[in-house]
Amino acid sequence: MIFHYHLFDMRDGWASLSRRPLRSLLSSLGIGIGVTALIAMLSIGEGAKKSALDKIASLGTDALRIENNSQAAFTGRNSLANISKGLVVADAEYLAEWLGTRGNVGAYVRRENVTISREGRSVVATVLGVSAGWFEAEKVQLQSGRSVNQGDITLRENVCVAGSKITTILGTAPGSSIMLQRFPSNLVGVLAPKGRLLTEGTGLSALDFDNTVILPIFSLQAIFPGKDEARLDGLVITLNDSDEASILSIGAQVEEILLVRHKGVEDYSLVIPLNLLKEARDSQRLFSLIMGTIAGLSLLVGGIGVMNVMLANIAEQTREIGLRMAVGASRSRIANLYLWNSFLLTMTGGIWGMAAGVILALFIQKYAGWDVAFSSFSLIVAPLSALITGIVFGVHPAVRAASLQPASALRDS
Amino acid sequence: MALAPLSLVVVEAEFLVVTGRSGSGKSTLLNLLSTLDKPSHGEVMLNGVSLTLMNEKQIAHLRNSCFGFIFQMPHLLPEKTVLENVVLPFHYGKLPVEVDVEKRCSELLDYVGLGEFGLRYPDTLSGGEMQRVVFARALARRPEVIFADEPTGSLDAGNSKKIMRLLQEQVERGCTVIMASHDVDAVHYGTRIVHLDKVESSLRQEPV
Repeated sequence: MIFHYHLFDMRDGWASLSRRPLRSLLSSLGIGIGVTALIAMLSIGEGAKKSALDKIASLGTDALRIENNSQAAFTGRNSLANISKGLVVADAEYLAEWLGTRGNVGAYVRRENVTISREGRSVVATVLGVSAGWFEAEKVQLQSGRSVNQGDITLRENVCVAGSKITTILGTAPGSSIMLQRFPSNLVGVLAPKGRLLTEGTGLSALDFDNTVILPIFSLQAIFPGKDEARLDGLVITLNDSDEASILSIGAQVEEILLVRHKGVEDYSLVIPLNLLKEARDSQRLFSLIMGTIAGLSLLVGGIGVMNVMLANIAEQTREIGLRMAVGASRSRIANLYLWNSFLLTMTGGIWGMAAGVILALFIQKYAGWDVAFSSFSLIVAPLSALITGIVFGVHPAVRAASLQPASALRDS
Repeated sequence: MALAPLSLVVVEAEFLVVTGRSGSGKSTLLNLLSTLDKPSHGEVMLNGVSLTLMNEKQIAHLRNSCFGFIFQMPHLLPEKTVLENVVLPFHYGKLPVEVDVEKRCSELLDYVGLGEFGLRYPDTLSGGEMQRVVFARALARRPEVIFADEPTGSLDAGNSKKIMRLLQEQVERGCTVIMASHDVDAVHYGTRIVHLDKVESSLRQEPV
């Protein structure tokens, strides 16, 4: 019986709104804009969160990344070069000893745009010369063969491990020889596909593991001389304890150690991915606050618009309300009818607002390059907010309609 | 005060006609008797039960199941068809299990001579036709009392006669009709006439 009453009131509500289609459309516009802003905000926020999480995951939530920055630090201040030489092998050794069993330290030097070739095929790649601890610190897996070990480093063996993309292009496998520029090197292993480090916005150098050749650190310096052998391009430290406070504490201590070792010269940059996550959270919170305020204001304005239209409809339909009461409609049924009116208005706005929000988010993704993601949360919250707005702003008109006296309502001109 | 103090008893199957000058309180009296309005003083009783003591839900149920209304202006819902307008009271009360609502309402439309008009909308009907639809709606739930406030006020002589005959038929079937009117022809259909005179704060009754 209750279902029958609601169905009847819903149909009547819809018929009543259809009598003034333009008015109904305009009043649902406000709600629609609010929901559009809400969907866009939530999907952009979700996209930013996902992007930040992907970035952190790529850089390692338990990692500290240090890159040599001596070039920038010494610019115009040559005297600083006499004080500190930037990151050096001794820094890596000191940090490894200081860290002990709490983590792994990997050191590397890098050369960019090196032509790697074999039997007429070639590819331009990055070449890293790494310490034995680098594989563990960087958590890279091997697809086949073996990694570079301490013996290779000590003996300056002419061996290398290549990224999967390189071996695919060159059509090679462990056991064969590849050319690094004009120097032959024995391929002893192939890295499992890992993709690239998502370093955008972090100040770190980009690195595509799949397009990298890895050599023992001193072998690289023998092949490509020109730099002081003791100098490093970067360090990666991975900690065994994944506790957030612990990682941040060790990060602060590492920074202090390096500052002391470099005699106060900041010729390196230390990036703690966990900090990036915190920064991302902060900026996302700010963004959500701004967009949330806009969406909330839109819904508020939309809700006021709905209330206004509802009051206008009630003023126009006063005699009809009186008639319904005369044939037996109770006050609760009249209130129910106008709550359905309000609900249908806001839900119509909510539905097209959701569609417009998705389109707007995709538009922003395409033209602004921002990441967007649609969560089930946003697809529930948006219509729910429209529904709540409908109920909140529909209550007053519904109560007003229900409180009319039938005799005076029937007399209304 | 819209209505002078009065005491009035209406019996079953009576066709009571309330007459009086404009402003004498005819419509107010009908509104009070039919619960569309609440008295500021006094009491309205139905079968010994005070209507003023009933709650809003009971009054709504009473209007739905016991009363039928015909107004001077034929009030119809414009977005509903003629048949849907006649069915309307059933949506505000318990649906009778043993009655096919649409069939009954179609029969009522046949009874008022609008059997072919069920699917039409009110704005395609004449004033007289609309008033007959209102009449059919008033009969939909087999009311015990029909309140008719100037039912012929906006109709021509022909349509007025039709409505009055229909009302008279209801009285013959045992229904009580209370009608406010100053239409001289309509008055003659009543079994009792009550004349309201505001100045004298009293009513004068005369049997027909």
